[in-house]
Amino acid sequence: MPQASEIAWLIPVFPLIGAVLSGLGLISLNKEINKLREVVSISLISFVGISAVLSYKALYEQISGYSAVEKLFVWASAGDFQIPMGFILDPLGSVMLALVTTITLLVMIYSHGYMAHDKGYVRFFTYLALFSSSMLGLIISPNLLEIYVFWELVGMCSYLLVGFWYDRDGAAHAAQKAFVVNRVGDFGLLLGILGLFWATKSFDFNEIASEISHSIASNNLPPWAGLLLCFLVFLGPMAKSAQFPLHVWLPDAMEGPTPISALIHAATMVAAGVFLVARLEPLYSIFPNIQLIIALVGTITCFLGASIALTQMDLKKGLAYSTVSQLGYMMLAMGCGAPLAGIFHLITHACFKAMLFLGSGSVIHSMEEVVGHQPVLAQDMRLMGGLRKKMPITSTTFLIGCIAISGIPPLAGFWSKDEILANAFISFPIFWFIGFITAGMTAFYMFRLYFLTFEGNFRGNDKDLQNQLLSDANIVLEEENNELDHNHGAIHESPWSMTFPLIFLAVPSIFIGFLGVPWDSKFVGLLNPSEALLMAQSFELNEFLPLAICSVLVSSAGISVAFFAYYLNKIDLNQLFASKFPSLNKFLVNKWYLDIINEKIFVKGSRRLAKEVLEVDSKVVDGVVNLTGLVTLGSGEGLKYFETGRAQFYALIVFGGVLLLVAIFGLQS
Amino acid sequence: MINYCLSHVLDFKTIGTVGVSLSNFPWLSVSILFPIISAFVIPFFPDKGEGKEVRWFALIVSLITFLITVGAYINGFNVNDDGVQLKESVNWLPSIGLTWAVGADGISMPLILLTSFITSLAVLAAWPVSFKPKLFFFLILAMDGGQIAVFAVQDMLLFFLAWELELLPVYLLLAIWGGKKRQYAATKFIIYTAGSSIFILLAALAMGFYGGNIPNFEFTHLAQTEFSQGFQILCYAGLLIAFGVKLPIVPLHTWLPDAHGEATAPVHMLLAGILLKMGGYALLRFNAQLLPLAHAQFAPLLVVLGVVNIIYAALTSFAQRNLKRKIAYSSISHMGFVLIGIGSFSSLGTSGAMLQMVSHGLIGASLFFLVGATYDRTKTLKLDEMGGVGQKMRIMFALWTACSLASLALPGMSGFVSELMVFTGFVTDEVYTLPFRVIMASLAAIGVVLTPIYLLSMLREIFFGKENLKLIEERNLIDAEPREIYIIGCLLLPILGIGLYPRLVTDSYLPSINSLVDRDLNAVRSSTKYINFANNDSVPFKAPSI
Repeated sequence: MPQASEIAWLIPVFPLIGAVLSGLGLISLNKEINKLREVVSISLISFVGISAVLSYKALYEQISGYSAVEKLFVWASAGDFQIPMGFILDPLGSVMLALVTTITLLVMIYSHGYMAHDKGYVRFFTYLALFSSSMLGLIISPNLLEIYVFWELVGMCSYLLVGFWYDRDGAAHAAQKAFVVNRVGDFGLLLGILGLFWATKSFDFNEIASEISHSIASNNLPPWAGLLLCFLVFLGPMAKSAQFPLHVWLPDAMEGPTPISALIHAATMVAAGVFLVARLEPLYSIFPNIQLIIALVGTITCFLGASIALTQMDLKKGLAYSTVSQLGYMMLAMGCGAPLAGIFHLITHACFKAMLFLGSGSVIHSMEEVVGHQPVLAQDMRLMGGLRKKMPITSTTFLIGCIAISGIPPLAGFWSKDEILANAFISFPIFWFIGFITAGMTAFYMFRLYFLTFEGNFRGNDKDLQNQLLSDANIVLEEENNELDHNHGAIHESPWSMTFPLIFLAVPSIFIGFLGVPWDSKFVGLLNPSEALLMAQSFELNEFLPLAICSVLVSSAGISVAFFAYYLNKIDLNQLFASKFPSLNKFLVNKWYLDIINEKIFVKGSRRLAKEVLEVDSKVVDGVVNLTGLVTLGSGEGLKYFETGRAQFYALIVFGGVLLLVAIFGLQS
Repeated sequence: MINYCLSHVLDFKTIGTVGVSLSNFPWLSVSILFPIISAFVIPFFPDKGEGKEVRWFALIVSLITFLITVGAYINGFNVNDDGVQLKESVNWLPSIGLTWAVGADGISMPLILLTSFITSLAVLAAWPVSFKPKLFFFLILAMDGGQIAVFAVQDMLLFFLAWELELLPVYLLLAIWGGKKRQYAATKFIIYTAGSSIFILLAALAMGFYGGNIPNFEFTHLAQTEFSQGFQILCYAGLLIAFGVKLPIVPLHTWLPDAHGEATAPVHMLLAGILLKMGGYALLRFNAQLLPLAHAQFAPLLVVLGVVNIIYAALTSFAQRNLKRKIAYSSISHMGFVLIGIGSFSSLGTSGAMLQMVSHGLIGASLFFLVGATYDRTKTLKLDEMGGVGQKMRIMFALWTACSLASLALPGMSGFVSELMVFTGFVTDEVYTLPFRVIMASLAAIGVVLTPIYLLSMLREIFFGKENLKLIEERNLIDAEPREIYIIGCLLLPILGIGLYPRLVTDSYLPSINSLVDRDLNAVRSSTKYINFANNDSVPFKAPSI
């Protein structure tokens, strides 16, 4: 058998084959395929499984020292220009491949339980396979252009999956918003790629970097132009990884099925932006200014996400803002010139955030038995509480996730987040401070989610509260009201297909951090051996401990506040905080007013502009045409010629024209 | 390199020995005349009813025509040759210099194939036409031949005739089978196009008579004639108006939404798939190829107009509430890339323009077909009266989504490649100053954001959300039938094929485009006034080497 690294291009091909086959089946033999749902899902899982096996083999080869593989072919050419495509498999890629295939597999198994009763079961699995194919292709892309291709494809999959329940208005709007906001980022990315190609005649990551530094050194390219191009390229990751101010699409994208939120909008696709910035590290390291911008954007995002998450009452939205915040941490790491720390946090975050989302899915799945399929009810934590006794596995894994994300040692999140904060402390102390405060907020809101959902008494049967929530959301349930009354299901633990992925993911959430301990980082050792050596040599316990103790303390403080407020109910935060600072509370509840600004300025503005252009088109441009027509028609006799003798009229004009031309040229010669 | 030489030698041998008889076969004349002559058989068909026989007949004829054009491509066309191939030349009316000269180079061949391909599918799409079927299919077949002629003729006077010949069928197809405002739309169409084609005739006569007493309209002759700059500019301006109406270029576009808004689905497919391409083809053939000195001066205007097309039409499309008009404006928007590509002076950009024509031919045809199929079910084109249709028509929804994604230039589909080639070609090309390129590319890239806004909003308003109760009660919303799936499948296959491996198509016309761009670049260099080598110091100018 050939080395897996050499045939890595097959990794995205297998899920693609599966997706194409079942997609064609859905189009041509819809009913039959839908009856064979288990067959389809098992074969699609096997296709992704083959990719997973290949990925792990490739990872193993990279760990045992096999050199990176890059193969290219000419995809398009014209004149002197050639656009190459192909694949690259290096340590970073192999780690990401293993991560994505693992989480995809787990989410597929989970979806078998979660989507069991859905009419679109087969379609869902097809989209999942299509997504995993695009995401895997993105990881092995050897150049910017190919990354852009897969970048768009994962965006499309996200669009299809957010809008999966297309009979819901919310889903329809969210899907469109996700795609369009991402396109705004892609606008910059495309221009940046074009500009870099213009400046360097290359799409290759390393070639671009060396060419740019060369042109700047020899004064061929003004530094501001290089900076501008880097910023344009950064717009892409800003949108994809939900960085301020292009983060607005991600919380809305939670309208999609929960497995999708776990896979695409927490673990893999949103991390693609961070991944691209890591790939472009050689380029970004030339410009300290762009690194400052990246770090600044990352810090703002990280603080903003956490602050909004403080007040969220929707379980999934809370997790979504937490994702925004964590992505901000990763970007901060990129800006501090520590891409490996960012990637390490990406990996640990993927494990525990996927687990948290899948856990929330498990909760929602069983809440739906009680309150019905209305997301406003099923996802609201005011109706939950006391689920721990009924759902032991879900609650335990969720708790593990909360501890991990809060940064309590020795769980995964501690090591990766601390690494980022340590780097920020050296590069930008102010950003470190904000990140440090955010860590406390993170611990607070995560445990707030945990206590509200799993502890206390179950509040789901409170009809008044339900009606109150519905009327707040302006939802009138006429038909489903009856359904509500019938619904007397009980909270229960989810089936094995849903709990197995939770248990599976709990293991790395606890232990994976040990791969990246700062004095002996196996992870950095794989990606960049020399840096690992440097890290190990320069490691000093005196420097590490104070920072580590500080962040543990601030996290513990956050947890304690949540514990007193939501478990013991000793502190009334409403009285203590919300009523004293109503404007600040309002500011947070309204998500910094960003959604409203977005709606008012961009959505309404573009609508108005388009309407005005259309008015101009139909009244002015077309108006002139019709006016000309009217004048011609109105000129009495002309009308008759026009209607009855078009041919003659036409011939006359032609004849006249020829005469005129002959006359002109006759005079000239 | 060795491979390339070998294949070249092999090609030569096959043509030299085995292929003699086939390569002498008058492929193009047959592909033009066969559908036209067959069309004249239709009136003698015995049946008077629903036209079942007629439509089968038309389908077979159009398929044979397609096969003939494919045969021409396989047997007589060498992709490495940049000149006109498959030449046939018969003196028709020597006294006025009219020659039946047909032939194909890399620019015509893909469009000839596109024409016969889309026409076959349009005939299939016209299956439900029951009103005057004989006349309908007669006109479609006549149009088939006429349109192939437009792309194949190598004589400017003949080109004018073919251009006019194709107007009449379209006029009748609009006027007889159109919607409520069909008379208005058809009249507007004929006045616009016929009126503007006067400029073609004038330019043709002027160019044919230029410099000699014996008129000669053949392209090869015109290409060798050294027209003076002033003369070129005059002709260029006239031709730009004529072809600008067809393409269309804003503000000469207002016939298009009316015509497209009123046409039935199959006619619609032909309008969007082929008719618009005539404008782009003619711009390349005459303005860029025959009038290089004028092109050197007009090209910046083309780029500006292209950007205007992209943004203006995208915005109008967003505001449109009528489905057909929405897609019609999106066609205009996409044609903007053709203009930028033609004006780019780079072989990458120009071949991007060429690819955009082929690609939009396929995507536009598929979208318009879907509009027709949807209208058959909902009986309304107003977006306000639709909504939630997706639950009843799942497969239709899937097809719509696929074609809309193709139209918004999703990678993996042809539209992305062509837009990317235009962008890359334009940005890397050193003829224009840097600020001009930066501004134009940034503005054109706004289209990248606007396109999904209007296309996805459209999908949302038709298919997403709660079911429109009034609509499902009144209308029978059946899902897509096999014939419709087949048509879209036929269109999506090349869309995906080109998107995954664009050289499938680009390799066939690259030599022709290269020599065309070379000629234009020489013209730019000779008129030194207009050269703005912006960054001579940073990036040395590289001319495409052939």
